[in-house]
Amino acid sequence: MDNELLKEQELLNAITKAYDVKGNVIRKGRVEVFVKKELIPSVLLYVKEQKGYKHLSHVACIDWIEQGEFQLTFNIWSHADKIMLYVKTRIDRENPVMENLDGIWDQLNTYEREFREMFGIEFTGLVGEKEFILEDWDDMPPMRRDFDTVQYSKDHYYFRPGREDAKDVRKTLTDRTGEEIPDYATKYSREK
Amino acid sequence: MNTTINDKNSQKIVDYIKNFARKNSLFVMAYGTGCGAIEIPPTMTSRYDAERFGIRGAATPRQADVLLITGYLAVKTLKRVIRVYEQMQNPKYVIGFGSCTINGGMYWDSYNTINALDRYIPVDVYINGCMPRPEAVISGFVALQEKIQRGDADNGKKYQENLEWYRNNQKKIIKDWKMPDYNW
Amino acid sequence: MREKETTLYIGPQHPGITGNMMVKIKIKGDTVVSSSTHVGYLHRAFEKLIEQRNWLQSFTILCRFCVPEPDPMELTYARAVEEIEGREVPERGKWIRVLVMELARLQSFMLWYGGQSGSAGLYTLGQWSVGDRNYVLDLFEELTGGRVYHMFIWPGGVRRDLPKGFKDKALRTMDYLEKRLVQYNKLLFDNVIFQKRAQGVGIIPKDKAIEWGVVGPPLRGCGIKSDVRIDEPYEVYDKLDFIVPTFEGGDVWARALVRREEIKQSISIIRQVLEKMPEGEYYNKIPNPMKWKIPAGEAYVRTESVRGEVGFYVVSDGTERPRRVHVKGAAYTHAFTVLDKILPGQNISDVSFILNSMGACPPEIER
Repeated sequence: MDNELLKEQELLNAITKAYDVKGNVIRKGRVEVFVKKELIPSVLLYVKEQKGYKHLSHVACIDWIEQGEFQLTFNIWSHADKIMLYVKTRIDRENPVMENLDGIWDQLNTYEREFREMFGIEFTGLVGEKEFILEDWDDMPPMRRDFDTVQYSKDHYYFRPGREDAKDVRKTLTDRTGEEIPDYATKYSREK
Repeated sequence: MNTTINDKNSQKIVDYIKNFARKNSLFVMAYGTGCGAIEIPPTMTSRYDAERFGIRGAATPRQADVLLITGYLAVKTLKRVIRVYEQMQNPKYVIGFGSCTINGGMYWDSYNTINALDRYIPVDVYINGCMPRPEAVISGFVALQEKIQRGDADNGKKYQENLEWYRNNQKKIIKDWKMPDYNW
Repeated sequence: MREKETTLYIGPQHPGITGNMMVKIKIKGDTVVSSSTHVGYLHRAFEKLIEQRNWLQSFTILCRFCVPEPDPMELTYARAVEEIEGREVPERGKWIRVLVMELARLQSFMLWYGGQSGSAGLYTLGQWSVGDRNYVLDLFEELTGGRVYHMFIWPGGVRRDLPKGFKDKALRTMDYLEKRLVQYNKLLFDNVIFQKRAQGVGIIPKDKAIEWGVVGPPLRGCGIKSDVRIDEPYEVYDKLDFIVPTFEGGDVWARALVRREEIKQSISIIRQVLEKMPEGEYYNKIPNPMKWKIPAGEAYVRTESVRGEVGFYVVSDGTERPRRVHVKGAAYTHAFTVLDKILPGQNISDVSFILNSMGACPPEIER
């Protein structure tokens, strides 16, 4: 085993020994563990209280629409070990319910309120105002992958017509180099 | 002041003095609505020193003459901006600052920012660029001053006259309208 | 005498607020009982827009995450992309990146001088420091072409080499700023008004600071030595000679002292970078950005900005566009949980003073 990754391996062994989780060492200072939704509170409490991973650096939410799941990643930093631990979990997309965790870290409260608003994940027992960033929002949670922001913008806001002599310069440029414009780039082009 | 001046020439002189006084003391509402607020401190401080032109900050809407919309407006802010604009006393001027007030700029496809500011409140001067330099900001103010001296800048009146049209546009995106209606 | 509890709204339109946000405080007499922060006035749906753009187009959006210092955002994203793709940065590119980062730190600190002293009613310093900040912005303009937003750091290096004569000009500016800093410190730190207002105000307890998620100068003001530049050295920070200042106390005064020392360190780093910078390539050219695909993967990368660590969680699914970019702004926790805990018991006039010292920056909170 690589000598440099000793501390990382030690941490991973301790977590896998205590809980039924899988994980691996990514590189120096980066360890990831995959945890079932039910085990998240106990794993977070374990690494916080027992292992000294006190600084919750960031929580990210990713919408994997193809697999029908949301991914939550808790990035926890230890000032003593200098390791960033990713605790990853998956939530069902159809019925996104998660336990409220803001008893462990107070700052999780704002992250949870953000995910409730942006992704529609319900955290049972979460207190705090329903509206966090948006106001009077009545469409689907906007950060979901199937929410079409271009269409929403076209429906709700006024577009100012452009100059008539404005041409799509990309076509001229690609003609010069002989390359093709990819589909997604032509999708929003003014010249149809 | 209700004294009527019937003489046409006297009226001209009064207007000239009135506009001259107005254009040289523009109190700008201190409301950093967007990222353009970062170029306001340099404009106000020693190198560019906007106070040479009589431009300075005012803390409350009722004492302000100019509402500077510094950049994109989220829907949540638009509600506050309308409230602020309606609290301001006539004559009042609006400067749209940055490309995003003109046509949405780089936020044209965002679900939370408006695209054309002049649909919601009347705008006197647009300053384009992202971000406009302090020189551009001052040049925009000078354009506004020229407009005031000409006597063209009475958008507060325009807003009152076309209130219904503006209200319709505003209520299209602000769904929960819980604001007092001002009748000036 | 019984005192009634009153609710006050500081912001969104308020001269004392740091950006477009609102702090709702409940007061009894002059004392704050409780507070809660409300954001969303600057929400531009950046993370949604990045999903619509390709990897390179995102850079125009990224630098607008935080207005006072756009460069840490670009660097963090570029590093995250490089980590997923495995792209190498040439040596000179790394040095130029550090130079840009430290210049950005410098100009942001000068803006902070203005905000912090302005919230204490000392307006002269704001005039001086914001005026002198223009000299740093001039350097930026010469180097990158932009005053505020630069879009200079790209995956694989930086876009341009240093222009001719830049080194002398930068060194001259540093000499000038160093002279000016002495005068700033006389005006702010030797001022009895500022001392009395800052000492013992807005205390963050040392034993709770890490758990509350405090980062950056406020954490170092609690006496905890924590800086991403030494914890996880990126670019060439491990080859540079600088110290991370810490002060005990956890109050506004300690945070101000930390920042005062950090400006000196920044100037020293810029001098070192200009002296030691090697010659050579500065940019590892990327392929046609329209067709540039990044292999699937995830990365979380942190950078030390003026207000603390900035984190980017970048997810790629193997296409031309980012799958997800989630940003951890440095002040995300400062503006909510920390503020809610340190404001109760403070005087009402200190609210905006504390807000400035915490470096709350709304555009990076709500994106």
